[in-house]
Amino acid sequence: MRNYGILKLVAVIVVIAVCAFLAYNEVKNNNIRTGIDIRGGIYAVLEPDIDKTSLAAEEIDKGLESAKTILGKRLDARNIFDRSINIDNVNDRIIIEIPWAAGETNFNPQEQLNELGRTALLTFQEVDYEKVDENGNYLPTGKIVIQGTQVKDAVPAYNEQSGWVVALELDESGSAAFAEATGRLVGKPIAIFMDDQFISAPIVNQKIDGGKAIITGQANATEAAELAATIRSGALPFRLVATKVDSISPQLGEGAMSVAVKAGIVGFILVCLFMLLVYRLPGVIASIGLFGLAVVTILFVAWTKISITLPGIGGIILAIGMGVDANCVIYERIKEELRAGKTLRAAIDQGFHRAFTAVVDSNVTTLITAVVLYVLGSGPIKGFALTLGIGVAISFLTAVTATRLMLQGMSGIAKNKWLYGVK
Amino acid sequence: MKQMEIVRNQSKFFLISIAVIAVGIIFYIVNGVQLDIQFSGGTRIMIETNGEVDSNQAEVLVENALGKSVTAQTQKTNNPGAEGEVIYMLRLDIASEETLTPEERDLVIDIISENFDVKEGGNQEMLSVEPSIGRETLLNGLKALLIASVLIILYVTWRFSAIHGFAAAITSIIALVHDIIITFALYPIIRFPLGEVFITAALTIIGYSLNASIIVFDRIRENAKLMRKNTFDEIVNTSINQSFARTVNTTVTTLLAIVTLYIFASVSNISSLKEFSLPLIVGFTAGVYSSLFIAGPLWLVWRKGTMAKSPKNA
Repeated sequence: MRNYGILKLVAVIVVIAVCAFLAYNEVKNNNIRTGIDIRGGIYAVLEPDIDKTSLAAEEIDKGLESAKTILGKRLDARNIFDRSINIDNVNDRIIIEIPWAAGETNFNPQEQLNELGRTALLTFQEVDYEKVDENGNYLPTGKIVIQGTQVKDAVPAYNEQSGWVVALELDESGSAAFAEATGRLVGKPIAIFMDDQFISAPIVNQKIDGGKAIITGQANATEAAELAATIRSGALPFRLVATKVDSISPQLGEGAMSVAVKAGIVGFILVCLFMLLVYRLPGVIASIGLFGLAVVTILFVAWTKISITLPGIGGIILAIGMGVDANCVIYERIKEELRAGKTLRAAIDQGFHRAFTAVVDSNVTTLITAVVLYVLGSGPIKGFALTLGIGVAISFLTAVTATRLMLQGMSGIAKNKWLYGVK
Repeated sequence: MKQMEIVRNQSKFFLISIAVIAVGIIFYIVNGVQLDIQFSGGTRIMIETNGEVDSNQAEVLVENALGKSVTAQTQKTNNPGAEGEVIYMLRLDIASEETLTPEERDLVIDIISENFDVKEGGNQEMLSVEPSIGRETLLNGLKALLIASVLIILYVTWRFSAIHGFAAAITSIIALVHDIIITFALYPIIRFPLGEVFITAALTIIGYSLNASIIVFDRIRENAKLMRKNTFDEIVNTSINQSFARTVNTTVTTLLAIVTLYIFASVSNISSLKEFSLPLIVGFTAGVYSSLFIAGPLWLVWRKGTMAKSPKNA
């Protein structure tokens, strides 16, 4: 039993150490994307690629409004929540500000911006065997079978024959048109284009009823997911071209990031010292747990590529605060049980058991807030909700599960009650 | 250990809160609240400079001269005309409901020219900026908070049904509204501009406050089972006393971290981080106060009120 306990302690510490090593690597390789408010980013002017005199003023305004919404969705799909998209009505253009990608500080993002501003009008077209480009790909014929506006939903999928594909669900008019065309074109190809760019040209095997279509020819999961997201976000009323691309310094001020990081490290050390003084041995274990919370959060941020903004930091602070709180609640309980004369092992078990309902209830209410804010909020509110929700989930694991395992392990080695905060 | 008489002195604690809120209201009436550019919109002045300038310093200079909230950023563009040449612009976003007057604009340009290396004959523009957080974002956020509150009330009512959960839920919400009001009072008192940072701080405080109240009610729930022979007054008083060490320790640890951030931000003169950490310090302090001295006693008042009306439930 005793050896088993030590094993648990060692196992948890090893896991945290591995996470710390991975997190260190991510930080060293600049894989943490920080928000435009903290590190600055790109300021770009996107102009509609149309002859502005050819459209009525209201139509341009309407087009810019819907372009703003669609650009927002496209950035959401890329996990970029901290951006600003503004319509400049005087000059009929859109001004966007987005954070640098992780590790970037200065480069020319023209290509990515034009990618963002592309119309993304998906079309399925009949082919003309005569009209091919030098690579043998079909060129658009204008004989449109279905288009993006008739797509209800698009998701990435994997199937045995074709590898990664995008599965489309069509609306009523799309289903009817697709059934009619596939019935008529059995044995012939239908070419799929994104704007005027050829994607693939599968051959129709049989008439397809039921409004399902797939886009084959995706290289991997990421490519399929990106195409699906672009189709879901809808087509822009016109192509947007980046005419001016600047870099801007952080809104929070130059150096805000390094100050926040330094303050974070010093604050963390102070918190650990305080826990050590008040709770002694369990305080050390709580500090290891908090360290675990910090490194797992860093890993999560690096792997999901979300950008860390001030609201995001607010969410993390709250999550860490709740982790500390869970530990305080539990350790006060353990002290009470020890004062009541229980043995160490019984006091630890009882302490966790008694504190558990309080910790669960406070975590669940916080998670409810985080989920609702994430689903319904926008911009900074979404960023806050995301890190809060994730942080609370991680803090529950580290502050409750991990510290419990470590304390149980420790109680087999260090038995003096003074070490647990009781005289 | 001797217990503090919290329940017996509850009216004093209520009075302290009311007094603090009253002071906030008086300052609000006298000073009003200055909205930051994300809410109010304002004016953007762009000035071309030779090389990069210290935006933090520019921010403080212009802020002091105009008495308005300013965000300064530097902007770099590769000159499309000449390969490798970079154009540096200083961008000043000045929060104001009305457009800056030409005099104010000249004042800004003079101050910047005196302190920084402004390019002679360089590009200078002034344009108006729309609020980046419009009514829609705010209303959406408020709607989300309302829905979250309803769900939390349902959850707490269910989980704390043993101790009149609905009363516990509503008093928790009252406690968090109390904390937000006190945090908000900070703005007219020290004339902080109210901007996007307040949203973040308020959301953080809401989560923190709710957590603190739940911990106290959890103790009341447990003691209600253990102390069947005692009066409700005793149960609540004991529960608050038992939660005291935890609440104080949690708050001290959290404040340690936030105060560190505030000190670092003050030393490095980064106003945005100060504007973030100070409301948190106030809100967390209000949170510990309300969870100990407001939520539980208020629940007790409610509980006694309902028992007086329907004695058979007692």
